[in-house]
Amino acid sequence: MRNIKALIMILVLGMVWAKPSFPGDTLTPEEIVRACYANFYYAGNDMKARILMKLIDKGGQERIRELTMLRKNYAEGGGQKYFIYFHQPSDVKNTTFMVYKYPDRDDDRWLFIPAINLVKRIAANDKYSSFVGSDFSYEDVSGRKIQEDSYRLLKEEELNGKSCFVIESLPKGSAEYTKRISWIDKVNYLPLREEFYDKQNELYRQFEAFEIKDINGIPTATKTVMKNVKTGHRTEVTFQSTEYNLGIGDDIFSERYLRRRPTEWIK
Amino acid sequence: MIKRIFGFSVEHPKLIILLTLIGTCVFLWQFPKIKIDTDPKHMLPTTSPVRVYNDEVDRLFSLHADTIVLGISNKEGIINQNTLKKIALITQSVLKIKGVIAQDVLSLSTVNDVIVKEDSLEVRPLLDNIPETKSELETMKKVLYDNPMLVDRFISKDGKTTAIYIPIEPAANGKAIADLIRKIVKEVGSPEEYHLAGDPIARDTFGAQMFMQMGLFSPISGMVMCIALFFMFRNYTLVFTNMAVAMISIFWSLGLLIGMGYPVHIMSSMMPVFLMAISTDTVHIFNEFYFRFREVKDKRRAVIETMNTIAKPVFYSDLTTAVGFASLATGAIVPVKIFGLFVAFGTFVILIMSYTFVPAVLMLIKESSIQKALKREDIKQDKAQSTSWLVKLGNFSLSKRSAILKIGLILMALSIIGISQIHVNNNMVSWFKAKSEIRRSDKILNKELGGTSLAYFVLDSDKEDLIKEPSTLRYIEALQRQLEENPLVGKTTSVADYVKHINRVLHQNDPRFEVIPDSKEKIAQYLFLMEMSARPNDLNNVVDYPFKKANIWVQVKTWDAGVMRKLIQAVQKYTLNHPLPKSLKFKPAGIAYFNMVWNDEVLWGMISSFLASLVLVLGLLMFEYRSLKWGIISFIPLLATIIIIYGMVGWIGKDFDMPISVLSTLSLGMAIDFAIHFVSRFKQRYKEVPNLEEALVWTVGRPGKGIIRNAILFALGFAVMMFASLTPYITVGIFMALIMVLSSIATLIYLPALIDKFF
Repeated sequence: MRNIKALIMILVLGMVWAKPSFPGDTLTPEEIVRACYANFYYAGNDMKARILMKLIDKGGQERIRELTMLRKNYAEGGGQKYFIYFHQPSDVKNTTFMVYKYPDRDDDRWLFIPAINLVKRIAANDKYSSFVGSDFSYEDVSGRKIQEDSYRLLKEEELNGKSCFVIESLPKGSAEYTKRISWIDKVNYLPLREEFYDKQNELYRQFEAFEIKDINGIPTATKTVMKNVKTGHRTEVTFQSTEYNLGIGDDIFSERYLRRRPTEWIK
Repeated sequence: MIKRIFGFSVEHPKLIILLTLIGTCVFLWQFPKIKIDTDPKHMLPTTSPVRVYNDEVDRLFSLHADTIVLGISNKEGIINQNTLKKIALITQSVLKIKGVIAQDVLSLSTVNDVIVKEDSLEVRPLLDNIPETKSELETMKKVLYDNPMLVDRFISKDGKTTAIYIPIEPAANGKAIADLIRKIVKEVGSPEEYHLAGDPIARDTFGAQMFMQMGLFSPISGMVMCIALFFMFRNYTLVFTNMAVAMISIFWSLGLLIGMGYPVHIMSSMMPVFLMAISTDTVHIFNEFYFRFREVKDKRRAVIETMNTIAKPVFYSDLTTAVGFASLATGAIVPVKIFGLFVAFGTFVILIMSYTFVPAVLMLIKESSIQKALKREDIKQDKAQSTSWLVKLGNFSLSKRSAILKIGLILMALSIIGISQIHVNNNMVSWFKAKSEIRRSDKILNKELGGTSLAYFVLDSDKEDLIKEPSTLRYIEALQRQLEENPLVGKTTSVADYVKHINRVLHQNDPRFEVIPDSKEKIAQYLFLMEMSARPNDLNNVVDYPFKKANIWVQVKTWDAGVMRKLIQAVQKYTLNHPLPKSLKFKPAGIAYFNMVWNDEVLWGMISSFLASLVLVLGLLMFEYRSLKWGIISFIPLLATIIIIYGMVGWIGKDFDMPISVLSTLSLGMAIDFAIHFVSRFKQRYKEVPNLEEALVWTVGRPGKGIIRNAILFALGFAVMMFASLTPYITVGIFMALIMVLSSIATLIYLPALIDKFF
């Protein structure tokens, strides 16, 4: 099953690269989003990134989160494992966090609290809740399942000099948003802007990627921001260093390393 | 000069009436531009320190100034499938209402809880899935009662009541949103009962109802006064003129206010009633005119002679009233200033009308119709055996002058004792009747849950991460226990409670771990866990971003401003006995604190402007009579009325609140008029007939009739308000009638005795 999905993805991507100038003619809106998810959430076989998150409230006060994220794909668009180690704030240093993402059921999450030397599994039935206090939800960080929304191509337009598909996603079941509009770069299929609408059908969150870098041939959004329009709170994310295809071993994603960081990967 | 004005009016009555009409049209032209502001909060400018600080606290802790509370209760207990389903359904619908701050609506179905389930921590909205089986319902109950932060907030101790907390945007109208919520719960239906409370509802409902009642009662008062006027003078034209003067002054001053771009605020919405009251001053003109006409039998001469004698007292009484109101502008409260200035303007309009419009209309009345009215009055007077009861009253005051003066002094002394017992307080919810929905809901929610009014105490420091220190949290915890000793404090919540709860949860839910941990690292990591899991705002509400400041929530079970004062004292006392490190301090904030400051500033602002106007009026009176003695004498009825009224307020133990303080300014408009009419006319008469007692009795009998007529008119007009649905109007209605009785007694009984004794 996973292999079939991977195959489809490869085919889709193949088509994308084969016909970069007129993809809209051949790709359905769903296929565009699928390609977007693949490039945004599943780039490379694995990834290591040192990430700086600035949580900035309306009054300009900041909280910092500095973390190293290890990510390994198990199937394109499907299973994934995340390992997150916090460097900052200093009083939470050594705190680690791990996510197993499954294609067909809720994620598993574990947290290690060093001050009481405790690993706890965290039941994650709220994928909409905030990721470490930021404006990103868990879902924003690890992606949504493609079949959860229905898609419509609204138009194609330029955004900051890049031509984009503008796609509207409407959730089929209950979701955090009632409507999402995404500007997806026609060339690299990364989301350049996303708007989330709430139950009152008002814009409440806005995502923007304002720096895209080519890393080992993989286009990567290295500077992004998620702004909560309603509260004035925003989260700025900078990928300070990013590497792909390092061959991160399966054993890293285990309780053992939660308690003692894998120094091989995280210094 | 004055003579020339009314001389012109007598010569060209039609022209004067036409000019008046044109002027009125110009001012009416402004009315479509009307802007209404029903928010009593706006009595304080946005730049006032309390508003600035409250806004800052709201920003620091992601709080919302205005929150509506919807209580849901079920006699069988709310933890059952049906009620829980309804709670979820109502929450969903409320989230869709415009003006509701959706992301911060808190109910069982949105608030997150951290619980332990076997080996895992579970973070989810309490009501993520509606429990179905009995055991699931039991589990839910246990979860709720295990978390002290939820009890008294999301579930009452007896399990029969829950609440949804609905923050609304600052610009949103609390009443409009409340109406939509009422519609939602009506559709969801019984057996549950629903209670809506919260400051924005009280405020906006009060504002809206105030306008409605003003719109309803101003015309009714007007009608009642019309009827009374008719029975007094038996002449439609006179009734019309009197009302026309009132309407003209209302239209002109409201038109000017609107035209100048000021919003009609709750304070200025009372202008019509005030001006209607002040305009009854014209009754003195008609009163004198009837006497004169009977004497000279010639309308033209009667009008001119009336105006000659009455011009001076009318001028001074209106001038004094105008100055009195204008001096309200010396205070700091902007809506009170505007109110004072525009009522003063309206009073000037009344003065101008008295010199122009009134004589003009008198000239147009048919002589025959006056004669008819007079004949009826004569017949009545014959029945009363030639001397009117007023003359008898005058004689009585003179013969018993010592006793009257003594009784007066005793009353004043008693009243001053009463005043010393006045209790200054303000409670907006009590402005609604005890049976009103707002007051009932508030009472029920305050009984079942932690309290609908909210105060904050903000621990302020400059040191980053200070809040993560165990000693800081312990101090906060101890202060909370101290605050909770006040029986009117229903619940306190702080970051210490969150940390304690997480500590317990992480230790197999063992109640022994419901304490502040002993290391900063633990606290920091627990808080981090909170940030990772719950809605970040839960935490933001109690600590600021750099962890320099913490916020203690104090839920209070009453809207009395006095309770907040006690809480502030309690905190001061505690910090004095348990000294805080330097540079640390607790500052009050929140709606309860705002109401306290509002109460103090608006009330004291009102009182100090009022005292200023008293002094000014006294000075003006002395100037008018070019005499210290006569100035003081004509000031006495006003002073006596006010002292006795507030003495009564003190004795019956009624809170000295906003409506009561407005009353003082009303007495300014009335009591002083009576005294001026009395003293001026007495002095005129005494010059003509230098017999002290005769002149006093004459004054009680003739201008005194005008005073009585004026008092009756006025008292009737205001008595209508006793049927209003807001208690402040009822209070004003009752006290106004009392003020009338008192100031006419002071003028007609006490003044003659006083003058007779000391002249």
